[in-house]
Amino acid sequence: MAQMPQGKPLPEITDLTRPFWTAAKAGKLVMQKCGRCGTLDFLPKPWCIECGHLGLDWVEVKPQGTVYSHSTAYTVMMNDPAWKSDLPVVMCIIELDDGPRMYGQLTDCPPEKVRIGMRVQAHFEPISDAAAVPKFRPI
Amino acid sequence: MTNSLRGEVAIVGYGRTPYSRAKPGERILTVDQYIAGAAALALEKAGMSKRDFDGQGLGVSHAEASHTVNWSAAVAELLGISPRALIRGDQGGASASAMLIRAAAMIHAGIIDRALVVGADTPLSIPSIAPGLPLSPERTRGIFWEFQGPFGVMGANNQFGLVQTRYAHQYPLQREHLGKIAVTTRYHASLNPGAIYREPFTLEAYMNSRILSDPVRLLDCVPMVNGGLAYIVASAETAKTITDKPAYLLGCGEVSNYYSGSRTRPDITVTGFVQAAPEAFRMAGVQHHDIDVFEPYDDYPMIVLMQMEDYGFCKKGEGGKFVAERDLTFKGDFPISTDGGQLSGGQPGGAIGGFMPIVEAAAQLRGEAGPRQVKDASIAAVSGFGGIPYARNARSCITLILGSEK
Repeated sequence: MAQMPQGKPLPEITDLTRPFWTAAKAGKLVMQKCGRCGTLDFLPKPWCIECGHLGLDWVEVKPQGTVYSHSTAYTVMMNDPAWKSDLPVVMCIIELDDGPRMYGQLTDCPPEKVRIGMRVQAHFEPISDAAAVPKFRPI
Repeated sequence: MTNSLRGEVAIVGYGRTPYSRAKPGERILTVDQYIAGAAALALEKAGMSKRDFDGQGLGVSHAEASHTVNWSAAVAELLGISPRALIRGDQGGASASAMLIRAAAMIHAGIIDRALVVGADTPLSIPSIAPGLPLSPERTRGIFWEFQGPFGVMGANNQFGLVQTRYAHQYPLQREHLGKIAVTTRYHASLNPGAIYREPFTLEAYMNSRILSDPVRLLDCVPMVNGGLAYIVASAETAKTITDKPAYLLGCGEVSNYYSGSRTRPDITVTGFVQAAPEAFRMAGVQHHDIDVFEPYDDYPMIVLMQMEDYGFCKKGEGGKFVAERDLTFKGDFPISTDGGQLSGGQPGGAIGGFMPIVEAAAQLRGEAGPRQVKDASIAAVSGFGGIPYARNARSCITLILGSEK
């Protein structure tokens, strides 16, 4: 299994998902937008979850959002042991201004300070030649 | 056309093997052995033979330890049974309930007369990315892992922690109420030799237990075990020839991938039970006050509380108040998880815990729950709950209403 920095497993990149990782590597957040009904959605899907249209385009979305929920992990229970050195990891569901929600780690914020409703902005941590992972920091 | 299965089938036997934490020095049973062990217990309870299922139904739940994707057919081969209908469950913790509905429909249609439904897993004894932790390839590289693992999502505890934080933001929630659920469940486990953890703990111990993924703590989590369960379901007519204590299916309701609100911004404090439970109650023709015992899917006390609300036992946001006001013990006015649940009983892998509420409900309705018997239990509500989708709640929600009379 290919490894991220510090030995974490790399995501497997497919033709479907590659645009996301490539854009993240270039410091941009992109998501799929339905060419028929305009629905924006994340995770990468094979058709529009609203209308079933197969024509989904990757479009850039604003990197700003709001913390919809948070849960700080103090243990690496169901992830690779290499994450131990990152603990505690402040995990959030981020509600992006442009619509969809995503899991995002909140950096630059002590666990006791994170609040639902906080304004955040994405930044990107490279994990390989081909990919970066979006994380968020308070703005 | 009717969509009612009310009274068409009944559970006539069930079995639950002893569970194992696979401690060093313990003899490790394989998933096949747990399947056969559970099936043997169910057959013995029903006074039936494996031969009664050739040409009938065989239901098999998916498992992380399954040797092949074609697991249900492989189990037929391992057990030497030739079913007419092979019913596969792959709805996570809703598998056992889902299979009961499918078996009931096929029995109602006259395609089969009965089904043996089995499930087992050995999450502690399969290849893992971290020895000692139940992290099978399915669990760590399953669908959507790409956007969770590398992002730092620490599995189910993290995902459910996010649900609980959001709930506590929208509604009044005191952790003491969740603690009451956990303490009561452990008390029931102390009365059940089959439960893996039986030592009662105090509310204070619950409140102070180790934080895993805030606010989820150690005593909020199910212990992973190796084990297996089974039940036998038959047409109502055949059931009467097998046992004088059939546990009838009176109602069922089901939904998967439920969105509460929009598809992209749903309310994650609401589960699909708001749709599934009313359907089951309607089919059964029962009201909330008719329920003598509730066997929820208790992977977390928070999710138990949400089931109470989404079933309609109380209003949304009032689950904490409801829990505080009720006696949740088997002697009380709202008995729950009378076998000790999965919280104290153990969860035999991600999918198999869903058998436990069914098996315990059947035991209660048949008066076979021994020291934890709910007096005059005649109607039970049972949950199946499968998986957690990305950034949401509850992948599959099933409600069953079982009763000792049609």
